[in-house]
Amino acid sequence: MKPFGQLDDPRRRILIQALTAGFFSTPWGAAAQSIFGSAPQRLPPGQSIYRASGRVLVNSQEATLATRIKPGDVVETAPGGELVFVLAEEAFILRGESRVVIENPPPSSPLKTALRLATGKLLSVFGRGRPTRIVTATATIGVRGTGVYAESDPEQTYFCTCYGVADIAANNDLQSKETVSATHHDRPLYITAKGAAGGRIRRAPFINHTDQELMLIETLVGRTPPFVFPMNDYNAPRREYP
Amino acid sequence: MRRGGSIPSRAGFAVATALVGAAVLPGIAHGADVEFTATGIEASFTSDRNVSRSSADERLSDTFFGVRVSKGFLLPVSTRSRAVFQGFAGGEKFRTYTGLSHAFIGGQGDFQYRSSAEFAAATFGAFFRTQAEYYDSELRDGYRHVFGLSVLKPVTDRMQFFGALQQNISDGKSTVFDTKSTSLRGNLDWSLGRSDTLYLGAEYRRGDIVSSGTQSLARINVADALVQDDAFSDQGYLAYRFQSNTWLATLGYNRAFAERHSVDISYRRVQSKPLHPSAYGSVSDVRYVVNQLSLAYLMRF
Repeated sequence: MKPFGQLDDPRRRILIQALTAGFFSTPWGAAAQSIFGSAPQRLPPGQSIYRASGRVLVNSQEATLATRIKPGDVVETAPGGELVFVLAEEAFILRGESRVVIENPPPSSPLKTALRLATGKLLSVFGRGRPTRIVTATATIGVRGTGVYAESDPEQTYFCTCYGVADIAANNDLQSKETVSATHHDRPLYITAKGAAGGRIRRAPFINHTDQELMLIETLVGRTPPFVFPMNDYNAPRREYP
Repeated sequence: MRRGGSIPSRAGFAVATALVGAAVLPGIAHGADVEFTATGIEASFTSDRNVSRSSADERLSDTFFGVRVSKGFLLPVSTRSRAVFQGFAGGEKFRTYTGLSHAFIGGQGDFQYRSSAEFAAATFGAFFRTQAEYYDSELRDGYRHVFGLSVLKPVTDRMQFFGALQQNISDGKSTVFDTKSTSLRGNLDWSLGRSDTLYLGAEYRRGDIVSSGTQSLARINVADALVQDDAFSDQGYLAYRFQSNTWLATLGYNRAFAERHSVDISYRRVQSKPLHPSAYGSVSDVRYVVNQLSLAYLMRF
C-alpha cells in the first residue's frame, strides 16, 4: 500500500475528487456506494466515515459521509444500521443498535484512545504503540496494536482478540482477569456480570465478525492485518453441473 | 441402493483411499501447523425439468433430495501460500427415475497463493478433485475428476469474483459415460447485507455430454457412442455421447442465520447444442435445455 499523501493511485485520486465534488453526499451517489460497495482505500484526511447505512447519530445529529468524528463524540446506530469509520489511526465497524462513547484521555494519560461501549457490537483495529482502553458493561480491556471485536450488554461481554494482545478484566471481580495474545481469533471470551469470584471469564465461540471486515477497516487506515488468508465462513452451495 | 458392486476393484480403491486418507491425514495434520476447517453439512431439494438431458419433446422431470458432508484442513506452506484439503461424501435420491440416485465419496486438494493481506489482493489457486460415484443405474458407476486453475478476488467491499478454468473427466462403467470437457466459469457474489448474498454464475463448457432419448437419425449421426440407458429403460431411451457447446447460468440467494446456518435458493439454466451437428435429421433432437430450482440448508460446526 502506498504511503499516505501520495496521489498516484488513480482510483484514490478519483475517490478524493468525488468526495471533493460531493459525489457521495448526493443521494444517488451514496445509494450506489451502499448497493454495489466500493473498493476501500485509505481515507483522505478530513474524512471520518467510510460507510453509513441505516440511521446513524453522532452527538445526536444524523450522520452523513461528511460528518467528522473526534474524541469526545457519542456515536449511536439504530437497529439495522451500521457505521464504518476512522478515528486517527484506529478504524471501526459499529453494528446496529449500538452506542459508543469516544472518550478523550487527558494528555498525561498513556492512553491514546478510550472507548466506552455501553451497548452493541464494535469491531476495531488499533495502531501499534497506541495503548487503548475499552470499557463495556461488564469488562475493562486494555489493548495495543490489535484487532478486536466486542459485543456488550448488561449481562455479559463477548470479546475476541482477533490478533495482538489484550488484557481483559471483569468490572466487578478483580480476580477475573486474563491476558490474551492471539494471532487469529485464538481465544474468544465471555466476561459475565455475575458468577463466582475468579470465574467470570469463560471461553466463547467465534461469532459475528469476519476477516474480510478486518481487512476492510485496516485498509481505511493504511495497514494490513497480520494474516494473509481470510477465514471463509460463507459457503453457498456451489453444486457443479455433472 | 446398489453400491456399484460391478466394479469392485475401483470401488475398493476409492474406499481404501478414503479410509487411508481419513487415517493418515489427521496424523499429518496433527504433526504440522494445520488448522481444521468446520464440518459442513448440506441438505438440498431440487426440481429438475430435464433429468434425461433430452430434447424438448422427450424431456423427463423429476425431483431429488441431496445431502453432502465435508471436512477439511489447511496446511500453511509459506506466509503467502497454503494447501487446503477436503474430504466429502454424500448422495442424491431421485423420486421417480431412481436409476439416477447415487452416492459419492471423494476428496479435493487446493494449492493457494495470495500476494498480500491487502483487501483487494487476489487469491490464485490450482486444484484437483476426484470422486467415486455409485449409481442405481449401473452404466453410470464410475469416477469423476476435475483439475484446474482458479482466482478469487474482491471487487468491492460488497462484491467478490471467483473464476476457474478446469478440465472435467468422467470415467464411467459404460464408455458412453467416459467424457472429457473443458470449462471456463465465473461467479459473482454480491453481499446485500451481513446475512444476505446474491450470486450469479456463468459457465461455458466445451466437450462431451451425455443426452438420453429415443432413437433418431440426428442423434445416431452425431453420437460418438451410444447405449441402452438403464436409468430410462421404461421409456426405451438410449444414452448418446457427443461433443457439445454448453452454457450454464446460475442465479442464487443465500441467507445466513444463527451464525453457522444458512438457507440457499438457486435457479440454474443449462443450454446445450452439438459442436458438430449432423446434416441428417432434426437439429432439435440433439439440443437440450435444463431448468433446475434448488433449495438447500447449510450448517457448519
